Amino acid sequence: MDLYTIILYFFAVVTLGSACIVVFSRNIVRAAFALLFAFFGVAGIYIFLLADFIAITQLLIYVGGIMVLMLFSVMLTSHQINVDAKTGTIQTLPAILIAACVGGGVIWVFWITDWKEKSDLPVIDTTAAKIGELLLTNYLLPFEIASVVLLVALVGAAMIARREKKG
Amino acid sequence: MEFIQTLLANQLVVSILLSALPLVFIILMVLVVLYTEMKVAAHIQDRVAYMRTGWHGVLQPIADMLKLLQKEDIIPTKADKLLFRAAPFIAFTGTYVAYAVLPFSSIYIGSNINLGAFFLVAAGSLVVIGILMAGWASNNKWSLFGGVRSAAQMISYEIPTALAVIIAVMITGSLNLQEVTKFQDGGIGNWLVFGGPLPWMQKLMLMPFTVITFFILFVASIAEVNRTPFDLPEAESELVQGFNTEYSGMRFAMFYLSEYANLFTVSAVVVSLFLGGWSSPFGAFMSGPVWGVFWFTSKAFLFILIQIWIRWTLPRLRVDQLMYVSWKVLTPWLFVCIFAVGLILVI
Amino acid sequence: MSSIGTYFYNIFHSLYTVVVGMRITIKHLFTRSATVQYPTVKMKIPERARNRLFVNIDDCIGCDQCAMACPVDCITIETIKSTPDMDLGMTSKNTKKRLYLPRFDIDIAKCCYCGLCVWPCPTECIVMTDVYEFAEYDRKDLIYSFSNMTEEEIAAAKVRLEQYNQEQAAKKAAAVPAKEPAPPAANPLPPSVPDIGKA
Ligand code: SF4
Ligand code: SF4
Repeated sequence: MDLYTIILYFFAVVTLGSACIVVFSRNIVRAAFALLFAFFGVAGIYIFLLADFIAITQLLIYVGGIMVLMLFSVMLTSHQINVDAKTGTIQTLPAILIAACVGGGVIWVFWITDWKEKSDLPVIDTTAAKIGELLLTNYLLPFEIASVVLLVALVGAAMIARREKKG
Repeated sequence: MEFIQTLLANQLVVSILLSALPLVFIILMVLVVLYTEMKVAAHIQDRVAYMRTGWHGVLQPIADMLKLLQKEDIIPTKADKLLFRAAPFIAFTGTYVAYAVLPFSSIYIGSNINLGAFFLVAAGSLVVIGILMAGWASNNKWSLFGGVRSAAQMISYEIPTALAVIIAVMITGSLNLQEVTKFQDGGIGNWLVFGGPLPWMQKLMLMPFTVITFFILFVASIAEVNRTPFDLPEAESELVQGFNTEYSGMRFAMFYLSEYANLFTVSAVVVSLFLGGWSSPFGAFMSGPVWGVFWFTSKAFLFILIQIWIRWTLPRLRVDQLMYVSWKVLTPWLFVCIFAVGLILVI
Repeated sequence: MSSIGTYFYNIFHSLYTVVVGMRITIKHLFTRSATVQYPTVKMKIPERARNRLFVNIDDCIGCDQCAMACPVDCITIETIKSTPDMDLGMTSKNTKKRLYLPRFDIDIAKCCYCGLCVWPCPTECIVMTDVYEFAEYDRKDLIYSFSNMTEEEIAAAKVRLEQYNQEQAAKKAAAVPAKEPAPPAANPLPPSVPDIGKA
């Protein structure tokens, strides 16, 4: 095993381990913080896939944005200003069903995919430039739709915030 | 001897040693900055600060550090022990990874990745997590408020920072900090704050916008490191040091170190994006890898000095003023700048 | 002003005020600092400053007026009357001393340096000095004892007083049958406040 394999497995273990904590921890804040390490592991694996731009985006968006927002909502909820905020288990059966469906789907995709192994893949120097080009040529429509969706969400959020003030 | 040679032949050992290099730099730098800060603060207030440890108290930062290391590490009984213990390390990690992409000189950069500028913005978010974690785990209302404030502030100011970085990237056409610096090499006139090495017409048109961007990046970077006038997360007069309240000894020292190391990072970002990084202001004169380190650190130190000067001049902003500055002043102005710079670059 | 005007005005105003503030601070950065390096350099204290108390015990007549004046009761005085056959000498102001002072303690830790004890003293023997560095490691060390009598002297003075009192009582007992019950004022040495101070 060379160094890179060891690091790859390290990232995998970090991801899976913290994901397990997220699921099994009864302390909701700890679960949220464990999610942080899961995001990290995933970012590491992205780097091994030569997707450095995605990896850093993962850090920026998930760790810097989503994680903080999640922690915010946990911390600002009333009755939670205490270290031992707990979660419980509800709706076991539907949860199992959905989890089984999703898990099965992922494994199925994993099996049917025709994995191509190529060791001499050319290392693209600037993925960011390529991604930008693709976004503005081949994938312009999805890109624009995503931006419209985000705009709608922003306007909606502003609307809701405003209405509360009046009432 | 042979042992050392085999050790140095090992790639892993060498990379670990090399990655520890910034740590040495951070510690030395923090000692110097601490001393400067205390002295400048004192003289601004017509005092003299420490005078007894060594000549004019130059040994005081070392004494302070030793004191912090020896102090008892107190963990509140009701705290979330695990998170409480982990928080300083996470905050420091966030600070430290940023040093990987700082171009200290034309030949020394921790990791010459192509997304350096982007990575720097992302690394800052890790510090937020550390602070939030500390605020939560202390199980203390001041700490929690401090943590939440800090997170809100850092998220708001990450946007102007990122936008300002984007403007620099638009002009240089690279996210690699080393490339960005090389682009500005060759004298003070080529620095990005003065429009970069472009044809003079374009340069002249770009200049007002780059100056505004540079200024906004500077303001946003002060906010990112939680310093006065943006030090609401600590706010000793209302929040009793905020997220630091329950920390003592070594762990407090970690936060402290992280804060001052961050101070250098943001100054270094401003310098390498807009003030030519390691390049000499006199063109070929006094330039070279070693002079590069000198120019880089001295430019960054100039900014640290200005930040100290601002800190001892201005009072703290209110929370709503803080948000006003970020969302209603800095961000819209940057949008205008992005638009204008894009237009000028295209024509 | 229109709201958009206010917006721009606010921006420029805040920038301008920041510059003004920073100009002031940089000016102070280069002015001489006002610090006095205390233990090595000492400031001259005013002539009438009130600091540590001193009692010139040789002049004290034990009148207890200083202790009565003290608002925090930090002066403790014990006295023993002298017998007529003893001469305690005169004070420097030519007052005859009639009381022994086995104890004259000032708890300087309690003292608030108000100086109220200084004014009533008839012999001007309790004074304020200009000593202000008298920190101690033990609070007990801050109780200053000004009495210069040894244990033996105290004991001897007590014994003498006892004897004298007995003699007087004996004399009085001998005189009683001749007179009716003596008025209390006739008591040669009233137990409480002696009025020697007025002499
Ligand atoms: S100075 Fe004031 S407090 Fe001190 S002993 Fe005299 S009367 Fe008492
Ligand atoms: S007032 Fe003066 S004379 Fe009287 S007891 Fe006090 S110190 Fe002695």
